[in-house]
Amino acid sequence: MLRIRSEERTAYLAILPVGLLLVLFVYYPAISTFLLGLTDANPRVQGLEGVAHFIGLRNYVQTLGSGEFWASVWRTTLIVLMVLPLELAIGLGAAMILNEEFRGRAVLRTIAIIPWMLPPLVNGFMWSWILNGDYGALNGLLYQLHLVTGYHHWLASPSAQLFWVALAQVWTRFPFAMVVLLAGLQSIPQDVVEAARVDGARPAQVFRSVTFPMLLPAFTVVLAVEFIVTFQIFDVIWSLTSGGAAGQIINPFTKAVMILNYEVVFRNLDLGLGSAVAYLILLLSMGVGYVFVRMLYERGA
Amino acid sequence: MSGAREVMLPRVVRRIFFWVAVALLALWSLAPIYWIVVSSISTRIELYTVPYKHWIPQSPTLQNYIDVFTTGPKYRAGGFLPSATLLYSGVRNSILVALLAAALLSLLASLAGYAFARLNFRGRSFLFFMMLLLVPLPIWVSLIALFQLMSVVGLIDTKLGLVLLFVAYGAPLYVWLMQTYIRATPRDIAEAALIDGASHFRVLRTIILPVAFPGLVSVFLVAFLTVWNAFLIPLIFTNSESAQPLTVVLSLFIGQYEVAWEAMSAAAVVTMIPPIVMALFFQRYIVRGLALGAVQ
Repeated sequence: MLRIRSEERTAYLAILPVGLLLVLFVYYPAISTFLLGLTDANPRVQGLEGVAHFIGLRNYVQTLGSGEFWASVWRTTLIVLMVLPLELAIGLGAAMILNEEFRGRAVLRTIAIIPWMLPPLVNGFMWSWILNGDYGALNGLLYQLHLVTGYHHWLASPSAQLFWVALAQVWTRFPFAMVVLLAGLQSIPQDVVEAARVDGARPAQVFRSVTFPMLLPAFTVVLAVEFIVTFQIFDVIWSLTSGGAAGQIINPFTKAVMILNYEVVFRNLDLGLGSAVAYLILLLSMGVGYVFVRMLYERGA
Repeated sequence: MSGAREVMLPRVVRRIFFWVAVALLALWSLAPIYWIVVSSISTRIELYTVPYKHWIPQSPTLQNYIDVFTTGPKYRAGGFLPSATLLYSGVRNSILVALLAAALLSLLASLAGYAFARLNFRGRSFLFFMMLLLVPLPIWVSLIALFQLMSVVGLIDTKLGLVLLFVAYGAPLYVWLMQTYIRATPRDIAEAALIDGASHFRVLRTIILPVAFPGLVSVFLVAFLTVWNAFLIPLIFTNSESAQPLTVVLSLFIGQYEVAWEAMSAAAVVTMIPPIVMALFFQRYIVRGLALGAVQ
């Protein structure tokens, strides 16, 4: 009896620091942010000492009825729709290459993982310099290869900006897809593949009827995770298209949901509305992520 | 004979395709980094040649590095501090905060991970669940009240505040990781030591952690990398050179009208050094942890 009690005391002591930090810095603020979302808190309106009023779900109703919110959801959706297929394609291609035995495989694997290790903010900056209309590398390269006759301002149009944001995000994230899919490929028993080959299946057939179905769980993981990650894209946009000047200007054309949330909270100081937006984004991203997983699993089963 | 030819020929073609694919993958992964490194060691004249052709710098120079670390405010969008001061403090803050947060996370995750992996206590599965619930939670949903809380307790714009935030928001993932590593250590030696009267903390320190050391290294490195790369948390919770890390300093260098690209590139390369070193030398410790923490 005494022994168990001392074990319990040890256990509580061991988890106490983490528990305290989580309660103080995560649970408590998460709950109060949610409650704040039910008020009209805005220091700009009420002053710093002012009292906010409880207004129920009005912030949520206002957000769901706001064209600006849905425009940013749409922009984010477009980015997601470009990122997911590209990232899956490149990640799968890279995983299939690294699944072969060849000299330099370990080196290539290391090289291909580097983009994922870098700060996304720096990646955004890097791509903005590559795409620079006056001196950028892309212009220099295409010109030297005689593919263009003059320099282009790649980031000039709003839809181009969304595309390049998506591409920079793919560059940052494809190694994740690669790593997960490579693990999936390596877990496929070789004798199944061999058996299909012996039975006369061509490589494409082997891929379609053996490899792909067995990779489905890995695909699901990548899609769900990358949906959530891309839906919450922030850093890359900040340094690639936000317009610079330490973010004093927020470029409306690439205002994804998280950038909108930042603007509502830290520019407009609309704390109540911002809290509601944050929870709506959580619901949207987790909800759709969950639907992805369900759909893919049901199709796989 | 003709059958053999038919098999041979596609094999050669397939080899060629394969090596082209290998080259493309390497090029895609490295070209942007190569360009930024070249930009950082090019002279202004070469870099701003139109049409550009100095893919290999004719007269490579470290002047850009010297410039960003020594000269005045010319690379800066606004504010009054010279860029060099900001960059120095950025390097210092990034290193300090990332090291401290990673060390603290390793320690706390070992303790809590041991409790969840090996000890029996009331509420264990409930507390474990309440912690796992937070792994995919984005910081956004607590950000606003957190900002108010940090202001009240005076932790805005302090390195301590950043460390506490990174530890709190990283803890669920790393505790979970540590408990999987600790679970995988052999039970019998630890049990024997406990029966001999050793305390749990002693057992953890002298028997379990040495065995689970690769896991501990992995937690430390992934935490360091995550904190080093972080932008949103420091963007919101810092506002001066006393706590701003490199990522935030770099974002300040992006001018509204003009960017000094060669200087920016030098600063960016400095920011990229620790992650690249980690990718080159500690990859096997990092990849799994980073993949598991992907949603954060």
